[in-house]
Amino acid sequence: MTAELILKLAGGVPAAFAACLGFGIVFNLRGKTLVFASIGGALGWLVYLLASGFAGDLQRYLLATVAITIYAEIMARVQKTPVTAYLVVSLLPLVPGGGIYYTMRYFVSGDTGMFIETGLHTLAIAGALAAGILPVSSLVRLYGQFKKHRLAVN
Amino acid sequence: MISEQENLLALSLNIGRGLLENGAETYRVEESIGRIMTAYGMEQAEVFAIPTCIIASVSRDGQTLTRVERITQRRTNLDRISRLNNLSREICDRKYSTSVIKAELNKIMSQQAYPFWLQTAGFVLVAAAFTIMFGGDFRAALAAALCGLVTKPVIELLQRYQTNVFFANIIGGAVIAAVALAASRLGLSGQVDLIIIGTLMNLVPGVAITNSMRDIIAGDLVAGLTKLTEALIIGTAIAIGTGFTFSIVGYLL
Repeated sequence: MTAELILKLAGGVPAAFAACLGFGIVFNLRGKTLVFASIGGALGWLVYLLASGFAGDLQRYLLATVAITIYAEIMARVQKTPVTAYLVVSLLPLVPGGGIYYTMRYFVSGDTGMFIETGLHTLAIAGALAAGILPVSSLVRLYGQFKKHRLAVN
Repeated sequence: MISEQENLLALSLNIGRGLLENGAETYRVEESIGRIMTAYGMEQAEVFAIPTCIIASVSRDGQTLTRVERITQRRTNLDRISRLNNLSREICDRKYSTSVIKAELNKIMSQQAYPFWLQTAGFVLVAAAFTIMFGGDFRAALAAALCGLVTKPVIELLQRYQTNVFFANIIGGAVIAAVALAASRLGLSGQVDLIIIGTLMNLVPGVAITNSMRDIIAGDLVAGLTKLTEALIIGTAIAIGTGFTFSIVGYLL
């Protein structure tokens, strides 16, 4: 681990936790869910930063999202709250909000080349996040159906 | 068909409306309404939901009931989604009567969100934390916190008067850029770009664009495109807002 990465981890991970906590309050999350969702956000950012050593830009987003989704599915079952509550807040440090802003800034200022480049990159990040969420939640669903089916047969 | 079933359809659509207005995914709305109607003995329940509309049609003994709900306002209240979700599950399990459903629904919908000062604190925390995450120093985070403190009441005021989303975000973007530029003029911090983008994280539709891609990949094409359009419109509004401030300041100085 380089010194630069350690510095990023020390500043970024607590900041990601704080950012999720703030958003959790704005989005009206209550009690334990608020804290656990914020921990999920810190976890995602940790994976994102650690993956910088071996993975490319989009793969880092994908890996972090897979980690968050697994965490969210587990927490949703332990705490008996819908997965969405965890997913929405924990994913916030990763979602390409800044990307949309920069894309539309280039659009408004008439810089077509940068508009297209940033726009496609933003869509790709959003796609990477979606591609990270869907397989995990589909597998969980499949497992649930499988268990229900087995119970029905027995 | 007896009015009991009409009542039930209306109530389940009200639950769907509550879910959608507080930021639930469209597939969750479709599933909740469909499950409730099937649990109460409907042979067929077809539900179609996009962020702006719910259409549900149920049939039994050759007769069909249909209802449409238009959704015009949306914000994010995750606690309410969670409670509505539990309610719809309980309804399916315990087959509540319509009066019980109505009472429970009213209870959930009248539940207050966090007080305004706490929401402002959350807004400020988001601004400061993202500024640090993007590489800002302590002084930049402080400036972003100040920026958030000024912006939140403005946004709240615009929402209270039910201004449209486009206009509210133009103003929001303009105010954020103005405060950030003022903070740098006063020598608080030179990292203007980081302060602006950190505070803007409160407004930008990052969740919307991610959910839209998720919907599109999962096959809910119309819902996904609706959300994508909304995200782009909000992004444009914020960009116009900040651009407006930059050009005025550039002209004056």
